[in-house]
Amino acid sequence: MPRAVKGVLIECDPSIKAIILKIDKDSGHGYIVEDLDDETLVVKEPKLPELKLRLEKILERTQMLERDEESDPENPG
Amino acid sequence: MPPKRKAGAAGGTTAVTTTSAATKRSRPATPAVDVDTSDEYSDDEEIENTEEGRAISKVVNAFSLDLAPKGNDVISKRDSVSYIFSKQDFSYLKMKSDHESRPLWINPESGVIVLESFSPLAGQAQDFLTTIAEPLSRPTYLHEYKLTPHSLYAAVSVGLDPNDIISVMDRLSKIPVPPKIIDFIKKCTSSYGKVKLVLKENRYFVESTDPAMLQRLLQDPVIGPLRVQGEGGSGITKEKAPQMGALVIPGTRNAAGAANVNNQQGGPAEVAVDVVEDLFNSVTGLGEDEEGEDEEDEDAVHSFEIPADDVETVQKQCLDLGYPVLEEYDFRNDRKNPNLDMDLKPQAQIRSYQEKSLSKMFGNGRAKSGIIVLPCGAGKTLVGITAACTIKKSVVVLATSSMSVVQWRQEFIKWTNINPDAIAIFTSESKEKFRGDAGIIVSTYSMVTNSRNRSHDSQKMMDFLQSREWGLLILDEVHVVPAQIFRKVVHSVATHSKLGLTATLLREDDKITDLNFLIGPKLYEANWMELAEQGHIAKVQCAEVWCPMTPEFYSEYLREPDARKKVLHYIMNPRKFQATQFLIDYHEKRGDKIIVFSDNVYALRAYALKLNKAFIYGDTPQQERLRILENFQLNDQVNTIFLSKIGDTSLDLPEATCLIQISSHYGSRRQEAQRLGRILRAKRRNDEGFNAFFYSLVSKDTAEMYYSSKRQAFLVDQGYAFKVITHLQGIEQLPGLAYATVAERKELLAEVMLQNSEAGQQEGDDFDGAKLSYNAGRKGAKYRRTTGKLSELAGGDGMAYIEYNRSRNKELKGKGQSSAFFKKMHRENEKRRKEQNALKP
Repeated sequence: MPRAVKGVLIECDPSIKAIILKIDKDSGHGYIVEDLDDETLVVKEPKLPELKLRLEKILERTQMLERDEESDPENPG
Repeated sequence: MPPKRKAGAAGGTTAVTTTSAATKRSRPATPAVDVDTSDEYSDDEEIENTEEGRAISKVVNAFSLDLAPKGNDVISKRDSVSYIFSKQDFSYLKMKSDHESRPLWINPESGVIVLESFSPLAGQAQDFLTTIAEPLSRPTYLHEYKLTPHSLYAAVSVGLDPNDIISVMDRLSKIPVPPKIIDFIKKCTSSYGKVKLVLKENRYFVESTDPAMLQRLLQDPVIGPLRVQGEGGSGITKEKAPQMGALVIPGTRNAAGAANVNNQQGGPAEVAVDVVEDLFNSVTGLGEDEEGEDEEDEDAVHSFEIPADDVETVQKQCLDLGYPVLEEYDFRNDRKNPNLDMDLKPQAQIRSYQEKSLSKMFGNGRAKSGIIVLPCGAGKTLVGITAACTIKKSVVVLATSSMSVVQWRQEFIKWTNINPDAIAIFTSESKEKFRGDAGIIVSTYSMVTNSRNRSHDSQKMMDFLQSREWGLLILDEVHVVPAQIFRKVVHSVATHSKLGLTATLLREDDKITDLNFLIGPKLYEANWMELAEQGHIAKVQCAEVWCPMTPEFYSEYLREPDARKKVLHYIMNPRKFQATQFLIDYHEKRGDKIIVFSDNVYALRAYALKLNKAFIYGDTPQQERLRILENFQLNDQVNTIFLSKIGDTSLDLPEATCLIQISSHYGSRRQEAQRLGRILRAKRRNDEGFNAFFYSLVSKDTAEMYYSSKRQAFLVDQGYAFKVITHLQGIEQLPGLAYATVAERKELLAEVMLQNSEAGQQEGDDFDGAKLSYNAGRKGAKYRRTTGKLSELAGGDGMAYIEYNRSRNKELKGKGQSSAFFKKMHRENEKRRKEQNALKP
């Protein structure tokens, strides 16, 4: 019997997709239904808000993280 | 540190900036970990330890506008949106009724002045503002300037009166000049520049237009006893103030006129228009009526003599008292130091802005010490040379690398009629002295300041430098060296006047603030856009190209814990690579000569090898470098070179018209500006519709984006606009596009991941250029022992030899050397030179 999962098609930059893949992998593959190509993938609909939240968090960090490490070596932490 | 312009935008934040500067200075120096400054000298001594340093910071703080007691600030709610602006709500300031025709607005709290550059009066206002304030930001429509103690100090030093400053300001301002600003101007100008230290006939005099000021100084317990009792009873002598008079800066329009008059009448050059007056006219341009009264009080100066040994004591004491002394050199009356016979060649015409900057230096017929800020390629060298020709005494020139030392010498010979024997070079390779009484020595900062491990020869040379008195010290690229080094230089070389030259008077740290005291005030700063309009420097289109990361690289970038390897991931981003390839291809077809900059040497090599272009980095032997540069200049086949950091400064390549930057030094604004400087002097700049191009390639969604925005701050302040390109049209259709398939990209990624984190770093310091000449041929064994069959060697096994990723450098090797004819000519030249040398005494 065929099984149906409700999903949302997401279209994004390859780099954003890379982040989503990372989130998916870290959380034990709970988000992605199907990885279509470089810029599109299908994720489970109920998980969408959660995914958005985590994505935003990571995006904030990717650009801030290194700045803290590199431009202020005088007082670490 | 936040970018400089932010400090101006919000009045409240200036206080923060000053205090953070103060705390930074008091913190013990962390040895060479500061990422932003790793390409500068590191301070080995702490400024705070010296007494002078403390005195300086005291004075600097005392005159900071923000530390002035805040008056009865009225920050009550004025309307419904007041709370948004909080302290920045200036709606209580009354506009003048005709405010629309006046171009200035003055921030009463921070001293920031906003200029509407579209106003018909903007030109005059701008001249005025560059004299009294420091430009913060000059984009197309609104310019920002800031009144600082230093800028006012500079204004006073060119002979402006505080009352004139205030009245002109009032005339140009939309609002009445706030009382706080008036106080500030008066306070700064009353203490700065009132006392001058003048060297006349090798005696030091403390000079002032105000006798009361001198009396105050004489009553000081330290300065008083130091006075040398003169012939007169009072010890204070009065004489006429020096005027510009017949002094003519060579190369200016006046010079031509003066020469004519001299020929015809034999009389003094009276036609020499007083340049100061010109300047003053342009400053007060709106009203001629006031000129009469200023001239009167400038007429007499009073002075007393102090012994040469105690000059520094007096200077320090004056600093403590809050009256920093201005240094001036009356070179025309200096008879002890022999004159240097040197003049600009007739064909050397200096440009209007160069004239303006020099007229500030020689404002009253004496040489003032100070810093002149001109964009790269706008002829800083010529300004220095003209200054030297005006003073006509022995000169010391300090440059940053041995390469630019050679350039300075050549420029001197090119522009002046000086005897080439009178210019000596003092570097690690050559240590000669000039013949005769007066001459020029060109050297590097490191040669003069390095006190350890000095060879016998250079020690002798240093003794020579220190034993003499010099008329002028020219400091090229002053921004690269922190105050500590300057203090050493200034103390070790006895010089009458100092001239600092730079394009970018900024550092990411705060080590340049003291330059105002060590060298002198900023005398002149050119407007980049104006020079570009007039065709003195090339017009540049700036673009930031956003290259998306490929998924593979981005997930690795996210995963990578080592920050230095992360860097490697975004530099080696295949999309960036493709963009580089596309841009090179596009511009080569247009006939541009392209320089590609990469700080990262691993990437530099990888890119250049893959694209089959020549490249130069720190380890490239000197011979090979010169050959590559020559080929780039003359050979049609070589239109692109890759340069590492070593090409940032002082490399003169007027052929280059396009610049691509693939990796850079974090958020360094100076590097960005210096690199842009490489194409500003483009030869073809005066062609119709010519544009130079500056591309900065940035990998999207990485830390590079942040740095990029930071780096651009300086150029944006100079009025450059960066276009953002998100997609290069037609990049997919480029034949032979590199890394077009996923498999190729994966291969590249694997290669990048194999690199150790060292590869992510930039190459080490290459300041002197000296260490580079000797490292060829020491790279381990060149031969390898293997077992094999004889037929393999003979090619009998059906193997063919193809070299992939061959360095283009090798191809450029030894061209033109092979012909027997040239060899013969070379031999003959050599022989002739030897004979000539033998003839010399």
